Amino acid sequence: MNKTTKKLLGVVAVATLAIGAFVATNAQAAATQVTLAFQSPLTGGEAGLGQDELLGVKTALYEYNQTNPKIKVNLVTGDDQATASIASGVALGFAQNSAVIGVIGSCCSGATQASFGAYKAGHLTIISPSATRADLTSPKASTNGFPFFHRVAATDAVQGPALARYSTKDVSSPKVYLIDDATPYGAGLKPLTTPTLKTLGASIVGQDTVPQHTIDYSSTASKVVASGANVVIYFGYYEDAAKLKVALDLAKYKGVYASGDGTDDLGYITDAGTADAEGTRITSQSVPFELTAPAAVQKDFTAATGLKSAAGHAYVTQAYNATNAYLQCIKGGATTRPAIQSCIASGTFTDVAGNKFNFTRYGDIAQGAPVGAYLVKNGDIIPVGNA
Amino acid sequence: MNFSVLISQFFPLLINGLALGFIYVLVSVGYTMVYGVLRLINFANSEIFMLGTFATYLVSTRIFKFDQNSHPAHGGKLFLIIICCLVASMLTSGVVAMFVELIAYRRLRTKGASRLGSLISAIGTSIALSEGVRILTHSIPVRAPRVLNKFNVFEIHGVGLRIDQLLTILAGLIFFFAVDRFVNKTRLGAAIRAVSMSEENSRLMGINLNRVITLTFLIGGLVTGAAAFMYDTTYEQTAYYAGFNIGIAAFTAAVLGGIGNLRGAFYGGMALGLAEQFFSAAFGAQWKEIIVFLVLVLILLLRPNGLFGEAVQQTRV
Repeated sequence: MNKTTKKLLGVVAVATLAIGAFVATNAQAAATQVTLAFQSPLTGGEAGLGQDELLGVKTALYEYNQTNPKIKVNLVTGDDQATASIASGVALGFAQNSAVIGVIGSCCSGATQASFGAYKAGHLTIISPSATRADLTSPKASTNGFPFFHRVAATDAVQGPALARYSTKDVSSPKVYLIDDATPYGAGLKPLTTPTLKTLGASIVGQDTVPQHTIDYSSTASKVVASGANVVIYFGYYEDAAKLKVALDLAKYKGVYASGDGTDDLGYITDAGTADAEGTRITSQSVPFELTAPAAVQKDFTAATGLKSAAGHAYVTQAYNATNAYLQCIKGGATTRPAIQSCIASGTFTDVAGNKFNFTRYGDIAQGAPVGAYLVKNGDIIPVGNA
Repeated sequence: MNFSVLISQFFPLLINGLALGFIYVLVSVGYTMVYGVLRLINFANSEIFMLGTFATYLVSTRIFKFDQNSHPAHGGKLFLIIICCLVASMLTSGVVAMFVELIAYRRLRTKGASRLGSLISAIGTSIALSEGVRILTHSIPVRAPRVLNKFNVFEIHGVGLRIDQLLTILAGLIFFFAVDRFVNKTRLGAAIRAVSMSEENSRLMGINLNRVITLTFLIGGLVTGAAAFMYDTTYEQTAYYAGFNIGIAAFTAAVLGGIGNLRGAFYGGMALGLAEQFFSAAFGAQWKEIIVFLVLVLILLLRPNGLFGEAVQQTRV
């Protein structure tokens, strides 16, 4: 090795060390600030669901920032309009944004499933407050979100039987008509109710699939009346649930009208009108924040959102818990995508009520989660116990 | 498949189909009038319809202060609200249609642009209007308040005809025959028919071409606006995408009946409205569009000019 070569190697070694030190310094600097993303419908027919969940996210971040943390957490939002084609674009944007280390969302199963491709490719962890379709975490389903998807609500495998029980409760000789909206959520939930309905002795007198955003529900309403059904269960989101309820009332249907957590939004009452919405039975995995959170957290909710109470806003608790899971990881020093993924997959977290929870290998809460029964009464959605 | 429902629910399905059919008929008139004169599909007609639905919504909520929980109006107040909503909807759609002609088509036409250019201009206008409303409404659909108490005007063996359905059917009949008479019995109507037969000869005969084309867009817009009012009254909802589905259906109805042919639009609209109702009931709502459009393709294979195109050719606008 001659002198020139030695000098050259020396320069390269020094340069490498300098670059290494620079990168390390930058990495350390980057670790003082990270970004979480929130993906849900913020506009469109199902905007109410996303806007409600954003309240929980904001509350958790407000509390975190009040502690003057070493690592600041920014929030970016993406509006997927609960539409698969839009959701995949939003997910791609977050996946390509290297500042984002974790995603809260989406509210809805179809949009969530459509986002899996981008998030898996970007190795980005997601925790949904309310995407409940069973196969999102099913080991057998090729469309599951393993290993990046997690959720903090009970799956539709739990909601389906609960909805069957609640919709037929106190109905003598229940004759049930099932209608879904052809979305992954609605079409996925419908078959999960039928085994329980049969066990309960209910007869299924008819079924229909009416695609989401249909204008005219009158022919479906006519079929329901002709079938002699005394229980109608709708599997879909609140915008169309309201249209169907109005059509059923105009067709003089007098029986029970029930729906799942897609209808757990005050937008349902706004759309259907107080009179038409009255008496609707709703099951939801949403845990009422106003009944669960300690007084101090409720004060923080008001400070963070400007709202007096979370009453009437669905999935605030779950959105709060999902955000807090990330924040507990960040506090523990997880500031990169792999560190966050490892922490979420293996960590134990504390929910708003102080209970501990962790995720199963495929992303569900290991301790299980409840399904609540709600009733529309006097223009409000009131919790009436567990379904 | 459930064919028994076709018998047990025949009359409710028939009434719903007629009400839907008349909405299709009037929107089809908007397409067919413009096509008859310009040989151009006015794709913006669906958004002209959508803007009409918002005009009805805004008049009832902003001027008359109705919301979802308001009690329906009665007597003179109800009549006043209906007239104001109808006029607002028709004027909005009529004026927008005239502007669309002026901005999107006239210059292209006078400069001798290709039909492809006009087609792109029509699609562009349609998208611009739809997206504009989407941004203004934050993509959120709105529920039109129930101004009209939806009672049954009469009921036989449990089958009733609701007041809103009766209103839609009657208004649809009146507006359709008014346009038909106007086109076939007046001097301006004769001018429209003349332009539809030959632009060149009409010009030589001293007909003001621009004036006739603007008039055609205005009439098409007015009846489309009337349909928008009926839509809000019947379905109590609208959104930035409300025109898309109705527009596709009405355009299909126009083609089914024989596009460019006023009476063909009538038959096409009625056939489509009824088919949608009965097919939905028999096969399930998810099969409705597949079956309806397969039937359309089949009919066009057998009768390329539409179902009633040749039989009523002499009434072409």
